[in-house]
Amino acid sequence: MLIASSTFATAASNETKESARRNSKVENRRARFEFPVSSFEPLMASFDQTAAFPRTGAIQSATGAGAWVTIREAFWIAVEALRAHKLRTFLTLLGVVIATATLIVVMSLINGMNLYIADHIANLGANVFIVHRYQWAQGYEAWLKARRRNKPILIEEFEYLRDNLKDYRNIGAEAEIQNINTYARFQSHTVYFVDIAGVTPNMIDIGMQKVESGRYITQPDYDHESLVCFIGQDLVNSFFPNVDPLNKEVLVDGIPFRVVGVAEKIGSTFGESQDNFVQIPLTTYQKFFSPRPSLEVNVQAWDAEQMMRLEDQTRALLRARRHVPYREDDTFGINASDTIMQTWHQITGAVFGVTIGIVAVFMLVGGIVIMNIMLASVTERTHEIGIRKSLGARRRDILMQFVIEASVMAGIGGGMGLLAAVLVSELVNLIVGPGFFNASIPVSAILVGLVLSTGVGLFFGIYPASQAAKLDPIEALRTEN
Amino acid sequence: MATRTGADSLRELQIPPDGVIIKADDLWKTYDMGEAIQVHALSGVSFDIDRGEYVAIMGPSGSGKSTLMNLLGCLDTPTRGNYWLNGHLVSELSDDELAYIRNKEIGFVFQTFNLLARASALHNVELPLIYSGMPARERLEKAEESLRKVDLAERMHHKPNELSGGQRQRVAIARALVNNPSIMLADEPTGNLDSATGEEIMGVFGRLHEAGHTILLVTHEHDIAAHAHRIIHVRDGRIERDERIG
Ligand SMILES: Nc1ncnc2c1ncn2[C@@H]1O[C@H](COP(=O)(O)OP(=O)(O)OP(=O)(O)O)[C@@H](O)[C@H]1O
Ligand SMILES: [Mg+2]
Repeated sequence: MLIASSTFATAASNETKESARRNSKVENRRARFEFPVSSFEPLMASFDQTAAFPRTGAIQSATGAGAWVTIREAFWIAVEALRAHKLRTFLTLLGVVIATATLIVVMSLINGMNLYIADHIANLGANVFIVHRYQWAQGYEAWLKARRRNKPILIEEFEYLRDNLKDYRNIGAEAEIQNINTYARFQSHTVYFVDIAGVTPNMIDIGMQKVESGRYITQPDYDHESLVCFIGQDLVNSFFPNVDPLNKEVLVDGIPFRVVGVAEKIGSTFGESQDNFVQIPLTTYQKFFSPRPSLEVNVQAWDAEQMMRLEDQTRALLRARRHVPYREDDTFGINASDTIMQTWHQITGAVFGVTIGIVAVFMLVGGIVIMNIMLASVTERTHEIGIRKSLGARRRDILMQFVIEASVMAGIGGGMGLLAAVLVSELVNLIVGPGFFNASIPVSAILVGLVLSTGVGLFFGIYPASQAAKLDPIEALRTEN
Repeated sequence: MATRTGADSLRELQIPPDGVIIKADDLWKTYDMGEAIQVHALSGVSFDIDRGEYVAIMGPSGSGKSTLMNLLGCLDTPTRGNYWLNGHLVSELSDDELAYIRNKEIGFVFQTFNLLARASALHNVELPLIYSGMPARERLEKAEESLRKVDLAERMHHKPNELSGGQRQRVAIARALVNNPSIMLADEPTGNLDSATGEEIMGVFGRLHEAGHTILLVTHEHDIAAHAHRIIHVRDGRIERDERIG
């Protein structure tokens, strides 16, 4: 005997046979499809079939709680199907991979630049704005126009602001040159491209430098046009690796200056060292380098709110002094961290807009490719769909199966895109170097990338899935693959 | 049913009495082969089957047996005629209701098995339970139990192509059994089995019948048909003879 008779509880089946006969005799009881209790009952007790398949009225069709079961099944079918066609899946996903990677890379680059700008460029010191010939970080056309109209900030204008602005915390000025000809020399060592700056003594309180040893330029230095200098770390490293730099004599463009102080290391911005400088009294600078230099006037306020008022005051004073007509633009620039940040955000906004366009095109292409491959997959698996339908899969089960397959597929593409993006940003960081900036992938980029790619799969999966769901069971079963 | 149109009440009259689980009323299945050539796979088949009957369908190859089974299994729709299943006119049931019936009320054993090639025997048997929404653990237990009934428990992790024809047939039977359907439709369930194994399968059907299930099976073998209490002979898409035995 192949089948153990113990499997069937014969005692129970005698009873049920009785009830079955009783049922068929009662002609008028048509209320429900009274299903005789079978000998399998101990194993299959959970089904109250009479409730679901009544003889009249609607048949209960949805089990409700079972939705999760079919979704899970759909997920595993998807994973299985994708595993069976690894290369095909990968090629299908290329569009989505590139789209996601592009999106995440751009978002991480912008994120890295934002952090960098905030750290290095927009940080002028607390509550400081700079009056300069030009407005920084403005559009090219505005700059061309400014180049024609704007005039340098002169010593007299600095003095005028110093004497007429009210209640500022500090006001200082600096002038600088830095080009291929500017150099500093100590004995046989020469450093080129040195930033030579003439400063007022209070610049140490306004700017970003700090004194490491010695002292800064003082009022007596300023008043006497002394030949003294305050040097950056790059010069210390080149000239005085092992000796104390203080009181040594350095040639700046051929003129001997005595080192009175050394600055703390600042670091670099856009890969350019900020420690390659010599600062001297502004008066000395005028005497030897440029009699009427174009100044950067640094105004420091007590707080952010006062800074705005001071900016307005400054603008009014300078315009009046320069006789700028009422309707015309300023012939100078007033630069503060927030204006720089504003301009920066405009630029990144534009970059991001372009990126979204590119990503959208890739996603569209990627989505269409997915749709195509899903249509092929539905055709290939028509027989399978027939089998599933013959066993009770509803339209929505089949729909779900293919939509989930497309989503999982695209989601995997998004994951690969994320991976590629991580590699690219690491590569950028490696090439540009840690001194530049860190492209860091924001969590929002990861979320957007994955959700977007999965969504694309879902959207483009709907049509093929509905084609599958519509199949007639017997037609599908007859299709041989 | 608040309002009754004339058609409605006419239909009411046609609803077969309670004991009749399957009522075929002049079923036709016609295939258009193009250029006005028509193939009548079924040409007007009518019969009633009471709940709990054990019926064998016999007939030569091409006589329309599989076509009939597909109609009865709610897989196909007749070109003409009415099919009543447990008091429901099948042509009026929604897609979801049909899916429900295929899932829970009818166990279908296909002549060609129709197993999922990529799935194990166990998973194949699990499928109807998945579409019933049964949780995984319960599902596994039932699928295993069902495979045990056809003596295939040791082979449950094999894929169809790793099983013999007879074993595949038994997987198909286990799958049809697993949801404890009230009607079992089997299209040559012993066609690929040696007579000993065939007898074992017939034992399963015998017990199902004893438990009150309605059973219809297609067969060519008189030995197999002899297990039934009624034999419907089909020829050229018509019922040639309907005999009760035993
Ligand atoms: N899809 C179809 N298109 C055209 N003709 C069909 C189709 N399906 C079946 N037929 C025809 O209908 C007739 C009955 O076929 P059916 O499969 O029901 O026979 P059967 O009795 O099951 O035969 P067998 O014992 O060989 O399985 C056959 O003549 C067949 O050619
Ligand atoms: Mg057949």
